[in-house]
Amino acid sequence: MPKVLVVEDSASVRAFVRAALEDEAFARMLGGCEVVEASCGFDAMRLLPRGPYDLIITDINMADINGLELIHFIRKSDHHRTTPLVIISTQTGERDVERGLSLGANAYVRKPFTPEALRETCGKLLGLAADAAPKPAGGGAP
Amino acid sequence: MTDGGGRGDSPADKAREDFFSEAQELVDGMSRDLVLLDERSRQGKSDPELVNDVFRAVHTLKGLAGLFGAARMSAVSHELEDVLDDLRLGKIDLTTRVLDLLFQSVDLYGRLLAAERGHGPEPAPEVEALLMALGSMMGQQGGQGASPATQYDLDPSILGVLTEYEEHRLRTNIQSGLFLFRIRVQFALATIDSALEELKTKARPHGEIITYLPTGSAGDAESIELDILLASAATLDVLRQAIEGPNVAIEEIRRRTALLDPGNAPSLPAPAHHSLPPPMSLSPPTAGESPATVHPSALASDRPAPVTSPSYAPGGLDLSLRSVSQTVRVDIRKLDHLMNIVGELAIVRGAILRLTDRVRANPDRVDRAFGMRDLGLELHRLHRTFDRHLTQMQNGILEVRMVPLGQVFEKLARVVRQISREHDKHVNLVITGAETEIDKLIVEELSDPLMHMIRNAIDHGIETREVRMAVGKPPVGTIALNAFQKGNHVVLAVEDDGAGMRPELILSTAVRRGLVSAEEAKELSLREVYNLVFLPGFTTKELATDLSGRGVGMDVVKTNIAKLGGIVDITSEVGIGTKMTITLPITLAIISVLGVEVAGHSFAVPLASVEEAIALDESLVRSFEGREAMTQRGATLPICRLARLFGLSEQGPGEPDQASPSMHAGPSPIAEARARRRPQKPCVVIASVGERRLGFVVDRLIGQEDIVIKALGPSLKGVRGLAGATELGDQRVGLVLDVAALMEEVLASDKERLLAHEGRA
Amino acid sequence: MPATNRRGMTGTGPGTAMRRAADLGRRTEYLAFSLAGEAYAVQIAHIAEILKPLPITWVPRAPRNVVGVMSVRGRLVTVIDLRRRLSLRESPMDRRTRILLADLGAEGASSGGPHQPHQSEQIGLLVDEVMQVYRLAENEIEPPTVLGGDQPAHIRGIGRPEGALLILLDLRPLLAS
Repeated sequence: MPKVLVVEDSASVRAFVRAALEDEAFARMLGGCEVVEASCGFDAMRLLPRGPYDLIITDINMADINGLELIHFIRKSDHHRTTPLVIISTQTGERDVERGLSLGANAYVRKPFTPEALRETCGKLLGLAADAAPKPAGGGAP
Repeated sequence: MTDGGGRGDSPADKAREDFFSEAQELVDGMSRDLVLLDERSRQGKSDPELVNDVFRAVHTLKGLAGLFGAARMSAVSHELEDVLDDLRLGKIDLTTRVLDLLFQSVDLYGRLLAAERGHGPEPAPEVEALLMALGSMMGQQGGQGASPATQYDLDPSILGVLTEYEEHRLRTNIQSGLFLFRIRVQFALATIDSALEELKTKARPHGEIITYLPTGSAGDAESIELDILLASAATLDVLRQAIEGPNVAIEEIRRRTALLDPGNAPSLPAPAHHSLPPPMSLSPPTAGESPATVHPSALASDRPAPVTSPSYAPGGLDLSLRSVSQTVRVDIRKLDHLMNIVGELAIVRGAILRLTDRVRANPDRVDRAFGMRDLGLELHRLHRTFDRHLTQMQNGILEVRMVPLGQVFEKLARVVRQISREHDKHVNLVITGAETEIDKLIVEELSDPLMHMIRNAIDHGIETREVRMAVGKPPVGTIALNAFQKGNHVVLAVEDDGAGMRPELILSTAVRRGLVSAEEAKELSLREVYNLVFLPGFTTKELATDLSGRGVGMDVVKTNIAKLGGIVDITSEVGIGTKMTITLPITLAIISVLGVEVAGHSFAVPLASVEEAIALDESLVRSFEGREAMTQRGATLPICRLARLFGLSEQGPGEPDQASPSMHAGPSPIAEARARRRPQKPCVVIASVGERRLGFVVDRLIGQEDIVIKALGPSLKGVRGLAGATELGDQRVGLVLDVAALMEEVLASDKERLLAHEGRA
Repeated sequence: MPATNRRGMTGTGPGTAMRRAADLGRRTEYLAFSLAGEAYAVQIAHIAEILKPLPITWVPRAPRNVVGVMSVRGRLVTVIDLRRRLSLRESPMDRRTRILLADLGAEGASSGGPHQPHQSEQIGLLVDEVMQVYRLAENEIEPPTVLGGDQPAHIRGIGRPEGALLILLDLRPLLAS
């Protein structure tokens, strides 16, 4: 069962992401999905040793340690050097997204994103074949 | 997801509840920050950290709005974020106009959230107006150029992990001629949040923290090493003194070249709107704490009067300060405490189970299991334990509902600003006691009455600048909000230093409106005259030129406060000011009481209203016109013999005059036996509510306990002097006295007579 | 044991059985009790419970009809002396005295402020003795005017089951005082 770390300082966005990833159809395809929430960079650093995580989703603009510094840290760490990493960005944070990608992030979703968009991106990174990505509402086989 | 806030338990529903909760917190935080920012800017100081905080709040709100489908909120946040970004990146200045728009946005957020909840209409026109106003804010294009940070001895990879904002702050600080320092710290990950807070507090007076960089080379997995970039005008030695400690080392980051860039001479004073705030004695409030006191600015005399910009819409009429969120933040220790009590209850449960088993093992011969007497004792003991824990639990849960009054006060600060702008008066709000806690529901109910009172104070209390200066007052008016707890009551005072209320005007208005006859008017005490403003039908139009043209119903205020079980009182002095005092119960459910016996009947007096109880010395009692008083601690204390007030015969346990005998529950047989053994010892229970005191004469004090108070039914609503009833043991009911009401009853006419007796009309 | 009222059953024609059936359908049950030697009754639907007297606490300065308050399973009940209310002769309580718990539903709702949910107030009616339940059809009830003159709103009428004479009371106006 894949383990996903979500780093985001807004509680309701975390709840939103969790709801998206815990969607029944999606979770079934993955064989379950465990979502771990971190509310800031330090929280994430505390939780990283409890991995390994199969996917990390992080915001950029956070207090104290920002998302870029976190990505830099993660990519230098022993266990998560190659873990798929998704950036949650705002529409105006292009430069920050560029930096994040150059630091080693794999993909990004722009706010506001739909649960489906998030699932599609995450699904791909978690190794689901492109045509097996879950379809929006109504569920079921493609 | 556009239903009016469904209450289901699915993750989606929970996420939506979280959305409201979080959004409300963000808006409240924004409001606090803006008020502070306003104050700072009046004093000519800037605060980039505050601006950044407001930016982040709007940024987060934008994200939330987008995710949860609140289109209007999203649109407003989008524009607002652009303006705030320009602001924090120095592309536009923080002018009064910008501040106005920011305040308007906070109001609008409130209404948008209410509309999302289904509690109000969609404020479409206001949104359009604000969007246009925000869109017209032009920021000048900043020429960024090469980052001057490259001139410093910084690892270029560091620059790669700075966000755009952090880079801007770095550049700005360098351009202002400040020095860069690196603070290397190593902290345990588990406690890093508090360790960093401490460090931040020490560092903030000296400069601005730009960013935190994990070095990646920590000793172990449990700790982390960080490089913190600090920009400061201070020297290394000063900083070392202030900040260094175990695991905290500081060093300066030098420039690569020895030559100074001509455009960046560090000794020149920094341009006004980029200057750092001078060492502050107050740190900006952290979440959850009450805001720093806003001090009246003494230097207002040479400030130009704030300009009311024409586009500012005084939307005061339907402004409500209520929170859309139904949630309460709970200190986790309170929850731990409750869990402990549950544990204790479980122990009692176990004991009862064992007892039950023993009895069931010998159903026919209980005395074989143990004597009946022992059984009785065991059960009694268990009952007492259970009772105690249950009460603790009830208290604990009630405590969880308590929130600091600061919540309401902060919102009022914003209102004060808005209303003073509307009336072109500069008013400062001084708040004390914001940490006083009160039930969340009461807090919500208080926001509107308080707002009315403040509006009144600004409308009619505080004079215009010209008038104030003419009478020698400072041009800036002051409204002081004070709150403190007195036992089970909370006292809130709203005091202004305005013109005060003129009794003649009030009387003439009241007489003219038929609220009181001319003869009655002559008999009224000063306090009663002031309280006339609470009568329905009394508008305040005549008291001052009312720019807004509407009188605020003080009778509504009084009714709302009465609904919460509180009372409101006014005192005033012409030329000096007016003070309105609200006295509220903290909770309505569990209170500590003092049991007393009056003519054989027992009553409960809420301990919160009791100052002390003393033995009655009849020789100290004097009578005036049928009322009695005694000297106590050098002051006159009016007294009231409860037996007489309640129509009971005063000779020991007797029956009330009208009731038929044998119907009423006297004391239980045990209590009666005990009572016969004890002599009568009349006492005076000295009660105080607000500024007033009254001594209740009772036959005996019984003791103190915590009880759950219940309301009496509507049939008994007309009975004066009873706050409710409580179930005593053994199916008996005890009546709880309403001290405030009894005082009103006894003292109202009391004062009249006392004054008449002393020759004052 | 419900009694059948033979009033109005004149004749034994074909319509009688139909009428009897129809009447049976419209019967209401009344609980009869005695006050100062007279028999009264109220609709049993308005009575939640019949209690033996519990300790009643006297309430100072309460309205004359209020005996006091008592606690029934944790709920406060205001007890009203029906004899006093109807200006009848009062007598001390004895082992036959009962308290009828009236329940008028939402109409008796009290607003207890922000903390207490709306609860209908429960009133207890003190009576000398409870007798039995009778079934009365609408058309077997004589209107109050038969007693002459203007009768107060709480008198609903007169019922005569099995030769007994019941003064029927309407609780709502009775308690609305």
